[in-house]
Amino acid sequence: MRRVAVIGVGVTKFGKHERTCAELFAEAAADAIQDAGVSPRAIQALYYGNVVGGEGERQLHMGPLAASVLGIPTVPTTRFETACATSHAAFRHAVMEIAAGVSDVVLVGGAERVLNLPTDAATEYFAYASDAIFEQPTGITFPGVFALIARAHMAKYGTTEEQMAHVAVKNHRHGALNPKAQFQKEITLEQVMKSAKVADPLKLYDCCPFTDGGAALVVVSEEVARKSRKPVWILSSAAASDSMFLHEKKDLSRVLATERAAQAAYRQGGRGPQDVDVVELHDCFTIAEIVATEGLGFFEPGTGGIAAEKGWTSLGGKLPVNPSGGLKAKGHPIGATGAAQVAEIVTQLRREAGPRQVDGAKVGLVHTLGGNTATVLVSLLSSE
Amino acid sequence: MSKVVTLKAFFEEARSGRLTGIRCGRCGEIAIPPKEFCPACQERAWEPVPLDGHGTIASFTVIRVPPRGRAEEAPYAVAVVKLDEGVSLLGRILDIPLDALKVGMPVRFRPLIRDEQTVVAFGPSQ
Ligand SMILES: [Zn+2]
Repeated sequence: MRRVAVIGVGVTKFGKHERTCAELFAEAAADAIQDAGVSPRAIQALYYGNVVGGEGERQLHMGPLAASVLGIPTVPTTRFETACATSHAAFRHAVMEIAAGVSDVVLVGGAERVLNLPTDAATEYFAYASDAIFEQPTGITFPGVFALIARAHMAKYGTTEEQMAHVAVKNHRHGALNPKAQFQKEITLEQVMKSAKVADPLKLYDCCPFTDGGAALVVVSEEVARKSRKPVWILSSAAASDSMFLHEKKDLSRVLATERAAQAAYRQGGRGPQDVDVVELHDCFTIAEIVATEGLGFFEPGTGGIAAEKGWTSLGGKLPVNPSGGLKAKGHPIGATGAAQVAEIVTQLRREAGPRQVDGAKVGLVHTLGGNTATVLVSLLSSE
Repeated sequence: MSKVVTLKAFFEEARSGRLTGIRCGRCGEIAIPPKEFCPACQERAWEPVPLDGHGTIASFTVIRVPPRGRAEEAPYAVAVVKLDEGVSLLGRILDIPLDALKVGMPVRFRPLIRDEQTVVAFGPSQ
């Protein structure tokens, strides 16, 4: 298989936008193409991610639409959807297409727009990522799924609501350093603890926001990468699944797909958790960051909450997690999230992250989780 | 010969108060239908097996920000219940005070019927 690199990244400001998904993606994609220093004509395929455009915009067939708005309407496109892991799945397939020698330059990314919808409609559409027959009719929501995980983790390990709150405080502190973040404001532990309950034990500040935004990456072969400014190499990109049904999860305190995807990524990349310098992981809810830091092998099962409380995952700590602010503060435009996480790690490994730069970062890990923990992607990237 | 229990059949039975599982004819694994291959041994030899509906709460949450159309129902509890036969089901909690809910609490299946729709639910064990 051929070596693959990312040579261009683009991310819109995250927050509320008066533009369609295709417009948001196209802005990010144009930035990524200019960052890569390649001609739009060089793009051989577009892998586009979007989740609720069918419901929110009454728009399907969105790959060619995104390409048309970008101005490269003849490029072959495919739309990806794996809930919140959507554009990380698109990224993995782009990596495989280039590694296999089918293409040399592939544009990857995604966009989402939901802030123009009523909150209860957006909550309903996101719940479509849970099973429609057994689960949606119970009235379960996305926060509800992670509340079930939080309760199981608390019952098994004694994880506390304060430890979860520390994740929110830390990610907002990081987000305050990111000019693209939806929330660039620090918050206090007390604010988190006193925020309104959403799905017990999760409170408003345990939850990532609804977000509009787009993100894009230019993924290329080694031959093309060698001519570029600062290529970041992909060591591995792995995917794993777990049962779609909450009633078939073997242990609600764990995300088994994270553990399996991480093992595959470490094995394929010839690296282990001890080699990772910086992490962007899927903190859709504070408990999700705690469980992910355990499943990725950074901390023992049951100690992810302690790691957050002790500041080990802060900028300046032993393993900075979510220097971008994470989904929690940077925002979570679900179809764009995976690509935006990769963009942050590329920016970190190019040493271009400004005040949120992790000193000396050479190896970065990206973890993206889809929906009810049924889909997980993990990729390892390196500056060398 | 594998006997597949369809979703339609599962929920028609559930509407009448009966839970139906499937048992692998090779390894004895019990699952919630529908399913073709046994996840444990990959055999395709299911037989329907009645589940008696008793179980305990494995985890639960109280939904306070509901999806569209459920505003009058909130707050309400949803739980993962581990049935005595070893399989689990997600269901709405009925007739148990929200502040009395605990992991490990015994509960018993009963259907929640909303017009044409049948929803898995659990109430007090007695
Ligand atoms: Zn079997």
